[in-house]
Amino acid sequence: MRQLSCLNTINLRAYLILIWLVLLASPGVSAESEIPGLGYQFTPLAPLVAAPDFTLKDMDDESYTLHDFRGKVVLINFWATWCPPCRKEMPALEALYKKLGDESFAVLAVNQWEDPDHVFAYTGELNVFPTFPILFDPESAISEDYGVKGLPTSFLIDKKGRLAYRAVGGRDFDHPQVERLIKELLAGE
Amino acid sequence: MKTHRIKPAWLLAVICLALPSVGTSAITEHVSPDTGLSSWKSQGDALDFELVQVLPDYVRAVYTSRGLPKAVVDKVSSYCVFGTILRNTTDRPLSYRVADWRYITPDGARHRIRTKSEWVSEWRDMGVAFRWSMLPDDQTFAVGDWGQGFTTIALQPGDRFALEYSWIQDDNTETRLIKGVRCAPVELPEHN
Repeated sequence: MRQLSCLNTINLRAYLILIWLVLLASPGVSAESEIPGLGYQFTPLAPLVAAPDFTLKDMDDESYTLHDFRGKVVLINFWATWCPPCRKEMPALEALYKKLGDESFAVLAVNQWEDPDHVFAYTGELNVFPTFPILFDPESAISEDYGVKGLPTSFLIDKKGRLAYRAVGGRDFDHPQVERLIKELLAGE
Repeated sequence: MKTHRIKPAWLLAVICLALPSVGTSAITEHVSPDTGLSSWKSQGDALDFELVQVLPDYVRAVYTSRGLPKAVVDKVSSYCVFGTILRNTTDRPLSYRVADWRYITPDGARHRIRTKSEWVSEWRDMGVAFRWSMLPDDQTFAVGDWGQGFTTIALQPGDRFALEYSWIQDDNTETRLIKGVRCAPVELPEHN
């Protein structure tokens, strides 16, 4: 299922460029502005419930278990390479990670239904190479546990491992309001 | 016996009041100078709505690259597919349900739109667990939320139709009509 011929890869690239042109082009408006602005709002979730636990592997076959991040604030981003807003928000996610990522804040980007070789090639095409862990949810089982309907969707998990905020659609993670939210969660119990 | 003639203007007013309220908001069609493909965009409502023509070959490429079986690729690419982008522009949540939307063919017939669940169910029967790319059946968008996905219409390349879509906010249903929508052609149109 996952094997792509070289020809298919080349065709896919051509088609991806085409759909980008279709989605982005607009007269009198810059191409970038045609995709809705990323925004920065996150919706608080109530009541606070435990985030579904998972163990997933990254590109180097290393396992990550959400429970091991208890005590940290975690941003989980469900995404895929074919999703234009996922691509658009990736540099801001990396900027946020560079700014706040340490022993108390983590980012986990959970890819949907794609294989590591394909995603590795994709990350090489980005302007900013992501340094946060990219995990693989090949059958979309984890996104289903989180009730994700569309990509991208992101969650902020508090230090007690509870789902605190959700954002459906792309976001400017580097926005001061997002940083403020995370710092509030870091300052909380 | 005295007869009452009904004035045409009154008759028209009664008919208009009896019909469900379908608004036509500011909808603009745009032809991409790069590809020649068209898109339709409604702005100024609580729900921004955009339809973007997608070539059958692109649909085929998207599903082939996911490793989906040929039968799945052939079936989806036989539909008239649009990229659909929705956004809540307000400070209150709103929701939509694709099952409530209809496309209207030139003969006036109203048709249901095939939902993501219907696609996923068919694929599951074929042993395929892929559930992305289609516009979700229904979603509630909180402040700042937005989404996108394919909408599939059972028409042929180049066919024309009108799309009636709706959303719910504060227990009120708003309905809009986009007229003159065209399915993407088989190939990229000639353009400058």
